[in-house]
Amino acid sequence: MKALLVSEYREGKLLDASYELLAFADKLGAEKTMVLIGSEAAAPRFNGKVYLADAAKYGEYNPDVHKKIVLEAAQRENSDCVVFLHSSYGWDLAPRVATALKAAQISEVVSIVDGKFEATCCNGKMRRMVSLKTVKTVVTIQAGAFSFSGEPQGTPHLERLDPAEIASCLEFVGYEAAEAKAVDLTRAEVIVSAGRGVGKKDNVQAIAALAKALGGELGASRPVVDAGWVDHSHQVGTTGQTVSPKLYVACGISGAIQHLAGMKKSDFVVAINKDKHAPIGEVADVLVVADVLQFVPALTARLLK
Amino acid sequence: MEATREIYWNVGHGVVWPMYVFSFIAMAVCVYGFYRRLVVYRQGKRLNRFDRLRVRVNLVFRNVLAQTRVLRVLGPGFIHALFFWGFGFLFIGTLLVMAQADIFQPLFGVVFLKGTFYKLFSLVLDVAGLVALVMLVGLQVRRFFAKPEGLETIRDDYVVHALLFTILATGFVVEGVRMAATEIRNNPNLSLYSPVGMLVGKPFVGMKLDALFLTHKALWWFHFFLAMGFIAVIPFTKLRHIFTTSANYLFTDLAPKGTISTINLEDEGAAQFGAAKVADLTWKDIFDADACTSCKRCQDRCPAFATGKPLSPMKMVKQIGEAAFSNPQAGLIEAVSQDALWACTTCRACQEICPANIEHVNKILEMRRNLSLMEGVFAGDEVRTATSNVEVNGNPFGLAFAARGEWAVGLDVKVMEQDSDVDILYFVGCYASFDKRNREIARNFIKICNAARVRVGILSKEEKCCGEPMRKLGNEYLYQMTAAENIERIKGYGVKKIVTTCPHCFNTLGRDYKDLGLELDVEHYSTFVHGLITSKRLKLKPEPFEFTYHDSCYLGRYMDIFDAPRAILTTAGGRLTEMAKSGSESFCCGAGGGRIVAEEKIGTRINVERVKMAEATGAPLLVSNCPFCLTMFEDGIKTGDCEGKLKALDLAEIIAARIGG
Amino acid sequence: MKILVCIKQVPDMESRFKVNNSGVWYEETDLAFRMNEYDEYAVEQAVQLKEQSGNAPDVTVLSIGPGRVVEALKKALAMGCDRAVHIQDDEYYLKDSWQIASIIAAYAKDLNFDLIFTGMQSQDRGSAQVGVTVAELLGFSCATTLVGFAYGGNVITAKRELEGGLKSVIKLRLPAVVTCQLGLNTPRYPTLPNIMKAKKKEMLTHPVADFLKEGAHSATERFYLPAKKGGGILLEGDVNDMVDRLVEILKEKNAVVR
Repeated sequence: MKALLVSEYREGKLLDASYELLAFADKLGAEKTMVLIGSEAAAPRFNGKVYLADAAKYGEYNPDVHKKIVLEAAQRENSDCVVFLHSSYGWDLAPRVATALKAAQISEVVSIVDGKFEATCCNGKMRRMVSLKTVKTVVTIQAGAFSFSGEPQGTPHLERLDPAEIASCLEFVGYEAAEAKAVDLTRAEVIVSAGRGVGKKDNVQAIAALAKALGGELGASRPVVDAGWVDHSHQVGTTGQTVSPKLYVACGISGAIQHLAGMKKSDFVVAINKDKHAPIGEVADVLVVADVLQFVPALTARLLK
Repeated sequence: MEATREIYWNVGHGVVWPMYVFSFIAMAVCVYGFYRRLVVYRQGKRLNRFDRLRVRVNLVFRNVLAQTRVLRVLGPGFIHALFFWGFGFLFIGTLLVMAQADIFQPLFGVVFLKGTFYKLFSLVLDVAGLVALVMLVGLQVRRFFAKPEGLETIRDDYVVHALLFTILATGFVVEGVRMAATEIRNNPNLSLYSPVGMLVGKPFVGMKLDALFLTHKALWWFHFFLAMGFIAVIPFTKLRHIFTTSANYLFTDLAPKGTISTINLEDEGAAQFGAAKVADLTWKDIFDADACTSCKRCQDRCPAFATGKPLSPMKMVKQIGEAAFSNPQAGLIEAVSQDALWACTTCRACQEICPANIEHVNKILEMRRNLSLMEGVFAGDEVRTATSNVEVNGNPFGLAFAARGEWAVGLDVKVMEQDSDVDILYFVGCYASFDKRNREIARNFIKICNAARVRVGILSKEEKCCGEPMRKLGNEYLYQMTAAENIERIKGYGVKKIVTTCPHCFNTLGRDYKDLGLELDVEHYSTFVHGLITSKRLKLKPEPFEFTYHDSCYLGRYMDIFDAPRAILTTAGGRLTEMAKSGSESFCCGAGGGRIVAEEKIGTRINVERVKMAEATGAPLLVSNCPFCLTMFEDGIKTGDCEGKLKALDLAEIIAARIGG
Repeated sequence: MKILVCIKQVPDMESRFKVNNSGVWYEETDLAFRMNEYDEYAVEQAVQLKEQSGNAPDVTVLSIGPGRVVEALKKALAMGCDRAVHIQDDEYYLKDSWQIASIIAAYAKDLNFDLIFTGMQSQDRGSAQVGVTVAELLGFSCATTLVGFAYGGNVITAKRELEGGLKSVIKLRLPAVVTCQLGLNTPRYPTLPNIMKAKKKEMLTHPVADFLKEGAHSATERFYLPAKKGGGILLEGDVNDMVDRLVEILKEKNAVVR
């Protein structure tokens, strides 16, 4: 099985998540080739063939152009499977490639079971096993589902692709940086929330420190906001923000229904609470029975090591 | 000597026709003034408040003559009542004089103002006049010197007070001067029956007769023209309340408390829902502004006003009047402001106390309906989320509707879909179904039913939100949709009796659902359980405890249920320390009017305010019987730092813990 | 201008899903349905564009599925779409994204739509393929994941949401398909007069056979709940031991901590 792995490139850099494509291909046991519309300097560290098209010429993103380039590489390699990351680049480009190849596309694959692809659905609550009916296939893989272990190493063998001008009805104008604004928890991938178990205002900084260590945002339950320990913009719950992070850490939060309703969509929930029977335990993937004020600083220290 | 006096003494009978002419003019001006106002009231929609006239007239007598609602607030109420009665007697006195002087004496030669009757007449009027004058001064001291907070004094007040005072004062001076000339020296015994006149007249006794006559004449005409002025300005000043406030009793809403108009959603011609301008309100809504005397009793009791929200029921009523009279095309909602409109908890404290019979709540609801149904505007994003949740899953939390009956798993309660042979349908409500703390109410209620051998069933996942919070927030459409689903199920099972642990569901199912086709026996569990106890189907083993009790708005003010819960709690062994604001003066927990789903962003927290009132009683336990109140109090205890000092419990929890005996 | 909005009715994601009898999709009883959240933004944007263009554009809203999807179509009409098309299919879940896209393309082929709006993905299957595939089949330009939309002189200026809060700005010419991301706008709450007007708007029903010409490229073999490895893990005991254990779990399960 020959897999063509489509790497991602943005603002002059290769996106590290591209290496997950290699991990996926290895799991699949496929022959790996990569394609990148980027630059030589950003070519992935991989002991294999990398088709390279110059982003300076073809643009950092133009679906019509990128589609042609990927198709060119797929044709040359006679790839059986074209693999993308399930990202704003991948889900935009993959269906175009799939349609051109008359290939089945499976999106957001989370694992391979007996050679079959398992995709996630229903907001991550369910799974489906997909069978394919076409000769070729296009796959997008869920970010983080296939982790690349260790440091990427190798020297790619570059084969340049230099197709003629490709017409397009689409024009890339530019990027817009993320605004530095008041807390938008709805986009956060990690949230660490403070509840009443935190005790008092001064202790909130310990929770904020953990949030920072995990690269996430500080959240809060209602009573904490009411008490003035944290600003309302951090509130999670029915009268605050409804969030769906990859990781939600609830510190000293009992799990009142209004709070649960605001964070139930989290992928993975860790609850730290003195009370083994706190309602938050019903939605937590991990319940740590401990005093928040003892556990959290210890966890933060461990993460920063 | 004869106990009588000569009517028209000194001024002569010649005054009669100018008197009538001027009176006629004054009254014409008065009538015209009211007619102009009538035109403005008519801008509002039609409303029938003329049925059951006997009941209405009765209300007028009771409230106007006996001043019952005015007397609800004792201090100023008493002063006003006495002033009113004093002035009333003077008015009757004037009518008697007119009757004799202009009808009985000239036409039939009958004189009844003589002898003992005259003495009584004289004395009563003097006393009445003095009481009126003293009370008036009392009111002036209150308004101009004591200046109670929130009491607005405008130019109108100065004019009216000056007029009334001068009329009363000159009345006595005219009498005094007359008596100085006729009675004090010549008939001292008689003058004793006009004691005030006698006192006022004494200084004039030495005066030369000519001077006396002149002074009397001048003062008489002055007093007369003041009185004419009084009559003429009635419709143009606060004095109009003599008629408008009195008439407002005639126009009482005779429907059960809390009745809201049910919009006909089938009416394809309807283009406007709710109120954006005065023309969208009823004539009564505009008339209410005229009946309002700005006494501020409503404002004093409004929980939103008390905690810094921009809502004043009194101000809102006045703003409607202002718009109606000066700018009918004005947008009401901009004038009142959305923040004020959304702040209302529909606690009804304003309406319950209003001595002018004004209906504040439904005006707010009509404006909310405009915001919700015509503009798609919500009190906040969280309210929109709750609304969508009710649409999709039949509860404001957005939890899967299929899980609604899970609290009952393992309990002895039937699910109607499987077995509908029950004594009562327990309509659980959203909070008791899904909220962890409130599930205790549901579980304990089942325990109570089991003990009393009442066969109880629930709709479980077929139950949807009763729709009340959405209705109160103005979303009549969603309310009717969710209500229709409930009604279809309830009717389908042939339910005879519903009991609910939530006063909001209680009001909605028992009263509001009638307009949508459901009429059956709906009871709140407090009176239901009280019935079980009195009929000995349920026995309690009392265990002593100290508590204070919160009368929830939708049980107390709306349904007048105050005694049954207290009786139960006493039977259960409780010793009650009442809060200062209890019974019909209870202070809202803050969750009514749909605000249970809204975030309180302005001012201080209503629930904390109430929790502090409970704490002040010294009782360790705050008992309520509404899931909204319980939720508010649990929250308020934490936020108000009363943890450890005060605990919140529902009535059901106390009863269930004492079953036996 | 002719606009098409493609919407899907999906179960509310708070529901607890059960596998249906054939084991390939969810069981529908006990599920509450609603318009796919992403499609709400699509409907709103289409209606806003119509309003901004002096109400001249005609907006058709389309959905494929069983009878119940009519509720979602009605909501779209109440939000301001002009007419609705219901492609009746009780077995919609047996069709893959390729077939769904081909059905829409077959419907739209000769109708000269200038602009097609749809959500970037559905909340249930979540394959994020249909919108782009429709564009490829019709030969339209396409941009996905829109969080900003402006239109003028046959050109759309779109803002795409990328990872990490970054956005990219692109221009594309009509005819086009755009797929909408959450936050593109604020979907309006239908007002009562609009709900009532919607009852009178045109709702046409076509059997899916009228437009289904393609065979499936893939199929769901099995639909199931992910195995919960021992349910929630309970950690008790020494703080430092628990810290180590938690970090291990996070690395293994979550890939957030590397």
